[in-house]
Amino acid sequence: MQTTRKGLRHWSVALLGGAGLALTPLAGAIASEETKITGFYENATYVRDHVGLSKFRNTLQLNAERKLGERGPFSNVSWNGVLRGSYDGVYDLNSSEYGRKAGGAVSLENTSGFGGSTSVPHGSGLKLPNSFDVANHPNRGMIVLGENLHKTSGGVAFGVPVRPCDKDKRGCINGYLDKDSNDLRFSEFNDRLDFIRELYVDFDYGFDNGHILSTRLGKQQVVWGRTDLFRVLDVINPVDFSRNNIYDELEDIRIPMWILKSDYRMGAGNVFDDLNLSFVWNFDRFRPHDIGQCGSPNVILDAGCFFRGMNTLWEYGGTVANFAGGEIATDFGPGQIGIRKAHMPAWSLSNTQFGLKLEGVYGDIGFSLNALTYRSQLPSLRGGIPAQNGFTGETGIWPYLIAFDIHFPRVNLLGGSLDYYSQGLDTVFRVEVAHTEGEEFANTMKSRLYSENSVTRYVIGADKNIFIPALNSRRAFLFSGQIFGQHIHQYESEKRELGRVGIPDWKANWIGTLLVKGWWMRDRLSPQLLAAHDFRAGATTVAPSIEWLVSDNLRLIGGANLKVGSGANKFDDCRTCNPWDPFTAAFPGHPEGHSLGLGGYEPLGRFRAGPLGMAKGQDELQLTLRYSF
Amino acid sequence: MNNKTLTRCTLALGLAAALGSSQALADVVDNSFYPYRDSQPSHPGLSAGMTINQGNVAQFKDIIDPAFLSFIEQGWVELSVGQTSSFDLHPNYVEATRAGLGQVSLGAKPGEINGWQAGRPFPEEPDANDPRAGEKLAWNYKYGYNWGDSAAIMPFYWKYRDMNNGRVERTIKFNFHFLNFTGRVNQEPKPAITPNPSELFRGIYVQVLEPHDVRNTQLLIHRAMDDLKRDNSWLYLGFQRRVRRLATGQVTDAFLGSDLMIEDFEGYNGRISDMNWSYKGTRYMLMPFYNHNDLQLDSETHSDSDGYQVVAFGGQGGCFPNITWQLRKVYEVEAEPVDGSHPLAKRTHYMDAQTFTIPRTVAYDRRGSLWKTFTIGQAHPDHHLPKNKGSGVSIDDSFSMIDVQAMHCTTGQFKGQVDPSLSTPEMFSVQHMRATGN
Repeated sequence: MQTTRKGLRHWSVALLGGAGLALTPLAGAIASEETKITGFYENATYVRDHVGLSKFRNTLQLNAERKLGERGPFSNVSWNGVLRGSYDGVYDLNSSEYGRKAGGAVSLENTSGFGGSTSVPHGSGLKLPNSFDVANHPNRGMIVLGENLHKTSGGVAFGVPVRPCDKDKRGCINGYLDKDSNDLRFSEFNDRLDFIRELYVDFDYGFDNGHILSTRLGKQQVVWGRTDLFRVLDVINPVDFSRNNIYDELEDIRIPMWILKSDYRMGAGNVFDDLNLSFVWNFDRFRPHDIGQCGSPNVILDAGCFFRGMNTLWEYGGTVANFAGGEIATDFGPGQIGIRKAHMPAWSLSNTQFGLKLEGVYGDIGFSLNALTYRSQLPSLRGGIPAQNGFTGETGIWPYLIAFDIHFPRVNLLGGSLDYYSQGLDTVFRVEVAHTEGEEFANTMKSRLYSENSVTRYVIGADKNIFIPALNSRRAFLFSGQIFGQHIHQYESEKRELGRVGIPDWKANWIGTLLVKGWWMRDRLSPQLLAAHDFRAGATTVAPSIEWLVSDNLRLIGGANLKVGSGANKFDDCRTCNPWDPFTAAFPGHPEGHSLGLGGYEPLGRFRAGPLGMAKGQDELQLTLRYSF
Repeated sequence: MNNKTLTRCTLALGLAAALGSSQALADVVDNSFYPYRDSQPSHPGLSAGMTINQGNVAQFKDIIDPAFLSFIEQGWVELSVGQTSSFDLHPNYVEATRAGLGQVSLGAKPGEINGWQAGRPFPEEPDANDPRAGEKLAWNYKYGYNWGDSAAIMPFYWKYRDMNNGRVERTIKFNFHFLNFTGRVNQEPKPAITPNPSELFRGIYVQVLEPHDVRNTQLLIHRAMDDLKRDNSWLYLGFQRRVRRLATGQVTDAFLGSDLMIEDFEGYNGRISDMNWSYKGTRYMLMPFYNHNDLQLDSETHSDSDGYQVVAFGGQGGCFPNITWQLRKVYEVEAEPVDGSHPLAKRTHYMDAQTFTIPRTVAYDRRGSLWKTFTIGQAHPDHHLPKNKGSGVSIDDSFSMIDVQAMHCTTGQFKGQVDPSLSTPEMFSVQHMRATGN
């Protein structure tokens, strides 16, 4: 609340400041030729299938830059700032979906019919000797995990609270996914002062040999790589996926960090047409991706809902569908299963992040070599935390028990990229590769239910402008295609008695994208079609849109985001892991910690469905208006 | 006659021949660069200060290109006539021409040239019997003094206009920068910037300043000495925060939605080898050459602490620069695309013989109909910004690309500055785009 009040105060100041600036353009112009202030107001209104209004976001952004010229030994000195504030009215206008009235009472699948029904209300499952009190965790304000995408279909599920954390604090993970109503409405006004989106100073230092050291210090975005949509090398800044999943421009959803970036620019030499060595030091306090809190419109992979439900189970207990015997809804007590807490790396020098990049042009080839040590911005669930045995009441560490803490491991990356223009084909080819060590993946073959694996990701892209005279005789169309590949090394997976176990992510997977864009009316009307297909998941997203520049200041974008193909996927859910032997053994002699592979859609099937598959059913119509000044 | 006398005569004759040849060669260069040294061109009824309009244009049809003739006949524009003046190029360029005289030749294939170091490659008068005369003139244009060794247009206003009602649909404000890597005659380093491992000839660097939706867009073009090689080009998009490599083969694509193809820039921005060039003759024509400071300028579009104002536009749709035109020596050259799928059947370039700029071009579509016409106004450097005085650069100062079929035009208003500090070599690197971007 304190944060919210402070945030609102900041919002007021920013709004007044912005209004003042907007109302005094003439004064601003006269005040200094060097200070340039621009900005925009944007309204994004989205409507989603079966949901209604899914976004009514109003954004005001102000950009300021001032060139200071030479200052002492430095040249090209300037400072830049970006302020951004937004209000998403969906939490007020559609509060029954996304706000204080969201969710309701839930029932969990009880396939066996034990107790007389194949579906039981939350709190009415088979009670373990150490169970939960529904009075502490009432059956209201919840959804069933994954209900928007799939039925339970014999798998696990549990109630997930969906109201903002000031209305319902159940499942709100302190310091990670704990947004209250105003945090959701006014997403930039938080204790990280995100409304100061960027603020940095640039300066150059020239050496006698003609080389230049260009430095940018401050809150900024640092972009590596040559790829659209996918983050292979572009991993320095975390991303806010809660804004619009993966579909917004990365410029708008990267989370700026306090970074020192220095480029030693060597220019042209005897071999290279251009050569630069870049050093990046992200000295900001660690920041994970914003994966979207359950109960908000964009929850990538539905992971935020899984986390909230699991934290609720840990803090309060709860009813889990089809758990005992694989078919009886079961009531667990608090501190037994679920997610306990998130370990958010505190600021320390050793927790900061460093990167090096050598980039240049050699003849017709542009290239880069990249190295980065950073903290994973995606969470890893590590088991092996002390938990209560639901049968005996004993607290201990139970191998293969679905009781986790969230960690953000350190990752080391080596990679590179290149681009090449083929004159014969009149096509630009782009390649980007990154190999990482230190990433962690869910793994039901490991006692702590995760493993560390190295990963290789790559993108191969091609861009070509093609005239289609029948459609447009004056302007060529842009065709841009990419194949994104991900290969997980030291991969573990095997078939067991009831299904496959191990790492749910595909050992190797590919996503293809195709962008076709055209221009009419002196580039004021630009339709585009973006399609993405996840090959292993069998999921496809098609996003047609039209951009209309009504005037130099006013831009309208209308579009749709449609998901076709497969949605949810199934995988081992560790119901048959037998962590509390003999109570959880499926049969006499069932080895402790040996999953038989009984699975369902939740929770690990999401890693096979991918971000495209998990968003099935979230078809949207989108209208965005931006007025620039 | 005895041997001594015969020898003396032979020597004398040889010396005379050498001197005559040298003189002839010197005349070639002087004739090329100073065509108005001895006399001013004239035409019956034409005088400085007069206006050519619907009422009197018929008597001047021989000295006006067919596109502008039709415009005047329709009452879309009137031409103000000025005195013919000599736009002397920088003496270093002239001397570089002299130094290279007789050493430059065309290669076996169009697009190949041998022996050029700097200056005008072929200063000789074109010969109508030379089947490659047009190609030589194209090389003179490509290696013309143009903006000199480096320059900038800061700022540069493009306006897209509806020619029917004059409505300005879009205004884009740029900074353009030009740099010659080779063939440098004036600014250090001379004759070339080194190191230059890819043997670049020229660089163009563009920054978009306004409007907001394209602000921070940057474009870098590297043109190689090898004419057969396509440009390497990169684009920085502010909203993507990264540099994209561009496929540059589609030179007939409209640039940022304007009426100009990428191939149209500066008169012709493509490869010599992409066209079949033919010399059509030498003429005297009214061309858009003027003194900027003597004009009635546009007081609204631009103002700054220099007191500089850009050229005003008027006429039909506001598509015509309010400038004066003068009678000048012109080489008429036709360029027909080699590629049969090119949207144009041909361009007719009216190359100014003294400066080898292309101030007038008329383009025809595949049916042979007039499609577009391009005017690039040339300002005398000594009547422009003080810093341009003595630069010897014929300043591109205004442009108009008119699409007569669409009744639409794009106009350009320049603040051209011949100032090496505005276009330093490090600006023409890919990393500069990243460093300058947001």
